[in-house]
Amino acid sequence: MTIDIQHVAKLAKLRLEEDQAQRFAKDMENIVSMVQQLPDLPDTGALIDPDHPMIFRGDVVEHHYDRKELLANAPQVKAGCVVVPKVVE
Amino acid sequence: MELFEYTASQLSGMLREKKVSAAEVTQSVLDRIEAVDEKVKAYLTVTGEEAKQQAAEVDELLAKGEPLSPLAGIPLAVKDNICTKNVRTSCASKMLGNFVPPYHATVMKKLEGCRPVMVGKVNMDEFAMGSSCETSYFQKTANPRNLDYVPGGSSGGSGAAVAAGEAVLSLGSDTGGSIRLPSAYCGVVGLKPTYSSVSRFGLVAFASSLDQIGPLGRSVEDVAMLYSAICGYDPMDATSAKREYPDFYANLKADVAGKTIGIPEEYFAQGVSEEVQQKVMAAAKVLEGLGATLKTVSLPSTSYALNAYYIISSAEASSNLARFDGVKYGYRTPEYHGLDEMYEKTRSEGFGDEVKRRILLGTFVLSSGFYDAYYKKAKLLQNRIGEEFDQQFESCDLLLTPTAPDTAFKLGENMGDPLKMYAADVCTTTVNIAGLPALSIPCGTAANGLPIGMQLIGPKFSEQTLLNAALAYQQETGCCAVAKL
Repeated sequence: MTIDIQHVAKLAKLRLEEDQAQRFAKDMENIVSMVQQLPDLPDTGALIDPDHPMIFRGDVVEHHYDRKELLANAPQVKAGCVVVPKVVE
Repeated sequence: MELFEYTASQLSGMLREKKVSAAEVTQSVLDRIEAVDEKVKAYLTVTGEEAKQQAAEVDELLAKGEPLSPLAGIPLAVKDNICTKNVRTSCASKMLGNFVPPYHATVMKKLEGCRPVMVGKVNMDEFAMGSSCETSYFQKTANPRNLDYVPGGSSGGSGAAVAAGEAVLSLGSDTGGSIRLPSAYCGVVGLKPTYSSVSRFGLVAFASSLDQIGPLGRSVEDVAMLYSAICGYDPMDATSAKREYPDFYANLKADVAGKTIGIPEEYFAQGVSEEVQQKVMAAAKVLEGLGATLKTVSLPSTSYALNAYYIISSAEASSNLARFDGVKYGYRTPEYHGLDEMYEKTRSEGFGDEVKRRILLGTFVLSSGFYDAYYKKAKLLQNRIGEEFDQQFESCDLLLTPTAPDTAFKLGENMGDPLKMYAADVCTTTVNIAGLPALSIPCGTAANGLPIGMQLIGPKFSEQTLLNAALAYQQETGCCAVAKL
């Protein structure tokens, strides 16, 4: 199978240089030809483990973290907000 | 014998009998790190000052005669994908090279009350993707049993630190074998707990439906001690199981008599070295001698498990790692025009090749037109594999397999060949896919001098049976010693 590696990279928000793209395309083709060997099994529809339902927390406001501490890891902060490039004209 | 060579259960007794102080134990391990880590390269961060402070606090409590957990004062190394408050948690990636969590993972929070002494954060494959610890952005860890060989991955720093005496216990994580493989390669004991028994909150996500935190140590007792402290329900992890857990350490007893141990024939087949097969079968005979009954069984879908694993884990990874966009934390590319370019350059510069490979594979198998052929098929196979295990557990208490198809390989040997690297996980991924607990324990040495590990697998939440059986084997064959370096 031939894989359009640049298309997949674009979907994954990755940039591949041409020589890198060739290498990754070859790796991917090998990996895909390994993993595609799977038996055809009847579709039971049950993809979620019935013995193991997820338990969600209630939708209740709780104070867990300090805003300043959380923002300490952000690459660029101004006036208590994360700075990003302009997204709307 | 130096203090760093003792096991946690021995040190725990010595601390209580006032034969040693926590400060002395900690100093011995810190000195060992100083002496050998230049060669082993297990640590990404050593927290010496904080460790001494923690040890002093334990000594004070001991002097007062306060009731303490058996873990109190025991030096612990933590894999660098487990969030530790105010201590860098890099995931061995450039992407998180400057990330200092403002909070503890739940396991670390639970351990605060038990007071082990964290001596540092240990190396791993980048974002836990790898079987050799070589995909780390920062350094390559060596196997303390022979420095030319890999320690296994992805918790390679954990396995190496424990084997080298640079830590008494370690926390690792296991998505497809990442605790058990380093345990086998480095000749230590490692437990991958039942999925949902240990909270994943604060563990940097790789494949959320497979990831599980677990302990590594030089004895079965030590692994039981650490597991008992970290398991339990946590509302912060929606997949966490709501149930009561016994004290696995207090209830530990060497016991395998009367148990039926299944030997799945698919794990003793082509691709698994003769030497490994022989050693594991010899260990089976030891267990038989202790009163267990051996039974040959079959798990027919085993040969597909690795394929299903790489599809499911990569799909989940591609989704989980979408959060690394250079906005809220972690690396951001210095120069960019517009948001898209910032995302793309940040991710392309911040992730290493293996991480990109998995993200690309995951994106591909989830993309329009391919989902049914790959991801859905893999999920259906996941159910089938679980059913096959369940069927065997109707007549077997445990299953015994090799942990890895061969002993450790040389540093650099498999780096150019992803498929060869992935094959190291062939005996371990089935367990994650089925959500089962499994323990790796050394079962001898190969002709090349490297350790061989065997894997005991049990039904969900059967950790006590696994640990008891492993302890029976250990009492018969001996504990793991610290590597001579």
